[in-house]
Amino acid sequence: NNAKDPKSTSDEDDSRDIVQQKTQEEILFHEETIDLGGDEFESEGNETVSEDSNNFVDKLNEQMMESVIISDSPNNSEDDTGELGCLQEIVDQMEAKDNQKSQTEVDKEEFLSNESETEHEETPRDISEIGTDDQASLKEESIQEAVKEEPKLGNNIPVETKPNNIDESTPEDQILSPSTTEPSSEAEPIPVCTIFSQANNASSQPQLFLPDGFEPQMVKSPSFSSIIETPVKSNPQVVQPSPSLSKFFGDTVNTNTLASDFFDSFTTSNFISVSNPNASSSVPEQMSSLSNGGDGSSSNPTFPVQNGRPEAGGPPSSLEINQSPKPFSQIQAVFAGSDDPFATALNMSELDRRNDAWIPSEETRNVLISVATQQYSAVFIDKENLTMPGLKFDNIQGDAVKDLMLRFLGEQAAVKRQVLNANSVEQSFVGLKQLISSKNWRAAVDLCGRLLTAHGQGYKKSGLPASHTTDSLQLWFVRLSLLVKLNLFQSAEMEFEPFGNLDQPDLYYEYYPNVYPGRKGSMVPFSMRILHAELPQYLGNPQESLDRLHSMKIICAKILENLEQGLAEDGSMTNITQENRQASVQLWRSRLGRVMYSMANCLLMMKDYVLAVDAYHSVIKYYPQQEPQLLSGIGRIFLQIGDIKTAEKYFQDVEKVTHKLDGLQSQIMVLMNRAFLHLGQNNFAEAHRFFTEILRIDSSNAVANNNAAVCLLYLGKLKDSLRQLEGMVQQDPQHYLHESVLFNLTTMYELESSRSMQKKQALLEAVAIKEGDSFNTQCLKLG
Amino acid sequence: MDVNQPKQEHLLALKVMRLTKPTLFTNIPVTCEERDLPGNLFNQLMKDDPSTVKGAETLMLGEMLTLPQNFGNIFLGETFSSYISVHNDSSQVVKDILVKADLQTSSQRLNLSASSAAVAELKPDCCIDDVIHHEVKEIGTHILVCAVSYTTQTGEKMYFRKFFKFQVLKPLDVKTKFYNAETDEVFLEAQIQNITTSPMFMEKVSLEPSMMYNVAELNTVDTAGESESTFGARTYLQPMDTRQYLYCLKPKQEFAEKAGVIKGVTVIGKLDIVWKTNLGERGRLQTSQLQRM
Repeated sequence: NNAKDPKSTSDEDDSRDIVQQKTQEEILFHEETIDLGGDEFESEGNETVSEDSNNFVDKLNEQMMESVIISDSPNNSEDDTGELGCLQEIVDQMEAKDNQKSQTEVDKEEFLSNESETEHEETPRDISEIGTDDQASLKEESIQEAVKEEPKLGNNIPVETKPNNIDESTPEDQILSPSTTEPSSEAEPIPVCTIFSQANNASSQPQLFLPDGFEPQMVKSPSFSSIIETPVKSNPQVVQPSPSLSKFFGDTVNTNTLASDFFDSFTTSNFISVSNPNASSSVPEQMSSLSNGGDGSSSNPTFPVQNGRPEAGGPPSSLEINQSPKPFSQIQAVFAGSDDPFATALNMSELDRRNDAWIPSEETRNVLISVATQQYSAVFIDKENLTMPGLKFDNIQGDAVKDLMLRFLGEQAAVKRQVLNANSVEQSFVGLKQLISSKNWRAAVDLCGRLLTAHGQGYKKSGLPASHTTDSLQLWFVRLSLLVKLNLFQSAEMEFEPFGNLDQPDLYYEYYPNVYPGRKGSMVPFSMRILHAELPQYLGNPQESLDRLHSMKIICAKILENLEQGLAEDGSMTNITQENRQASVQLWRSRLGRVMYSMANCLLMMKDYVLAVDAYHSVIKYYPQQEPQLLSGIGRIFLQIGDIKTAEKYFQDVEKVTHKLDGLQSQIMVLMNRAFLHLGQNNFAEAHRFFTEILRIDSSNAVANNNAAVCLLYLGKLKDSLRQLEGMVQQDPQHYLHESVLFNLTTMYELESSRSMQKKQALLEAVAIKEGDSFNTQCLKLG
Repeated sequence: MDVNQPKQEHLLALKVMRLTKPTLFTNIPVTCEERDLPGNLFNQLMKDDPSTVKGAETLMLGEMLTLPQNFGNIFLGETFSSYISVHNDSSQVVKDILVKADLQTSSQRLNLSASSAAVAELKPDCCIDDVIHHEVKEIGTHILVCAVSYTTQTGEKMYFRKFFKFQVLKPLDVKTKFYNAETDEVFLEAQIQNITTSPMFMEKVSLEPSMMYNVAELNTVDTAGESESTFGARTYLQPMDTRQYLYCLKPKQEFAEKAGVIKGVTVIGKLDIVWKTNLGERGRLQTSQLQRM
């Protein structure tokens, strides 16, 4: 059995090295850091599967012997297989080293006598010093299997990297009649049409061998058994908060090697948002009396589901409405198509109408009409059609920075950490704004909660009837926005849930004719709709985001169409002065542009780059002033895909566009793009030059500073890179204590020395002085 | 042998980090309008955020580079790059430092260190840096073996090693199919599938014919004088996407004349594939000679 015959090319020098240093090594083995736990398991599992298929292929090959050109150099692969076996041994034994040391001497001898072939091979012997016998023998079995796999190689044309192709001219390992030996791709769920990967796919079933006429071209692989996972898992659209968001564009699925395998002290620190422990998942639905919004006249404890709802008696016609004994103007206010200058002019400011305009769904519209027409009698609305929000958790206050300080710097240091909290500001919008601008968003979320509680929509109020006002919806908008900013997407989703699709009748002013006489449109701020539409994409459901954005797009377009046709935004025949119409068109075009922006962002997240690029192009139409930035952005998208040429084309377009403008900003943009292009061409030195160029004209440019430092690392200048980053953080902590910068800095600290902890703690102190409670402490990797 | 010897502190620390291309920071835009409660607060916060694109803060894809956060995947034909840093953690000067980085594959052991010369001395808090590059040519287990030897002030010779294991995966699945025309022409259909987890820009997929053939690539369509790729605007392959390339091979004049000869020829040529991924990370593979029956 030659399976374990090592290549005779083992490095002589190495062997000598090893001999000299052997004694020392044995002492120093604790330094080795290979962790193989998971891998071993996986490969073993795989081998059992492949054994089955082996047999089948073996049989198949026996029958076909005549038609097979036997490889000129079958030994090559056999050797390789054997070698890999050795490699696995090494590694497995390394793993066992810690607890087996006392046995090593004995084991070593046994091991060596068992496998005399390996004696001259540097690595196995080296490792055998720490290895155990049973592991070695266990592995031996799998090597036998690997050898059995050998004939399967015959099916594949090796793919080699260019420099390796010395013997390519010889027809190697190929079967001449692929139609009989080939596995059929169509029968497999994952169409990796190679014999080897079939090991993963229950391939021993004969029906898989239906010929499709295609011949699998295989990568020349000495042993496939160690390549366990085909990296074919579809990327789960799971969003991790920034900066892991950058993973959308990188390799998201880390199939085989965790960083912990590789960087012994590096951990893959994902920025996972902490879900709020206070968040209660469900609030019991309570059946209680429903006061009907502004009407307030209903004391009926039940929900007369059909009563008063238009569907009961069919859609109300205008005839019915005209019979209603209500003031004419109020009816008019509700009706699209009515034209009463009094009602609108008196009760509704231009600005309100323009901003609040929205087109309700047919169903909602009908409810609103019936509210307006049945002014003096109760209108009962199906509970499902009402918005009954409430806080899902009453307190998320907390300061992660302070917690870390307590842990690492002690109580004394932690006491010095002073941030504003919900108690330390005025309990009003003023206080709220103060908290937001000082970046104490957690406290701001709490203050929103308090203000909403005062409004009757507090903790556990979800599912209870509520009345809405402009202010209450604005408070919700702020609270939900901040939750998203804090990456607490799940919490945001929970609190958004009672709002449905933001089209319920009680979210329209028309629903409260007494409170907002004559006012029309939606109470829901447009920005809240955007937020609502964008949210699912951060929770792994970008398709839902696209759907919501699409419906928003349709309504915005409809409003613009109405305006163009001389109607009011909602399609009613209101007189609008030319000036106001113009202003309205401008507002709604910009809003439509904002929707397109979100769509483009969402498509980018979905990695649908072609559509994303199209969408960004259409954003340019709505925001022409952003053309250079957007074209640069599209260029960067192409860089990320790897399409450097198209990226360059876009960067050239930017230069053309900015050519007309002069000014610092466009100059920076051009330099930035050039730097990125060099990055794409693998030229870190030139990229660094351009980033540095930017710093000459704008020394405080954070991006250029950070990027120049990153380039320095790739050029092998860790210390210089660190100096640059540290310099910028010290120079202007207000601006540069950004999580991306700090993440880079801490990563380099970890690379630099074993003492990175102290330096990270110093960063924590800097953060403690400048940053509010919303700071994402995970980038400090203090873990 | 005494295996229970106390753990020995080394004066030097060895750290290794794989240098995949950096990624661009993405931010989550939250905007509001002037009439909303926060006024322009949200927009101002985004303007002040150094990671947003100035003037287009709503654009998610920023310009800030972030270092790789995990080892990621490495594929056959790509270049493995790694930063190796040896840092003097101690307070004494260390002498005669030799850092050696080897890559052990299933078939060979390669030395990747840029220089094999010893560094005379390393002061406290200084480091020796090396960035290694290696084009990966084999699939399967690779072990990066980093060995450091040095001499302490007391003249004691010290040595330690670290092992870093990683798997090289197959990036592409290539299948071919030949169609023999009634003439001497041969058509080759090649299916190339991206079996990585990231989009892949196919920079080049070409057939290098064997000496007896000329090849015509049939992957563009002439529309109004402009040649258009049959793959349309989509220049990249999403994970698990497959593309079909078609080539027509015609025997060269001198061989075509000898009709008998060309019929017996089985060696057609080989496919050369170059792709790029994130920020121009490059990979290249070649099939061996394709065989016709």
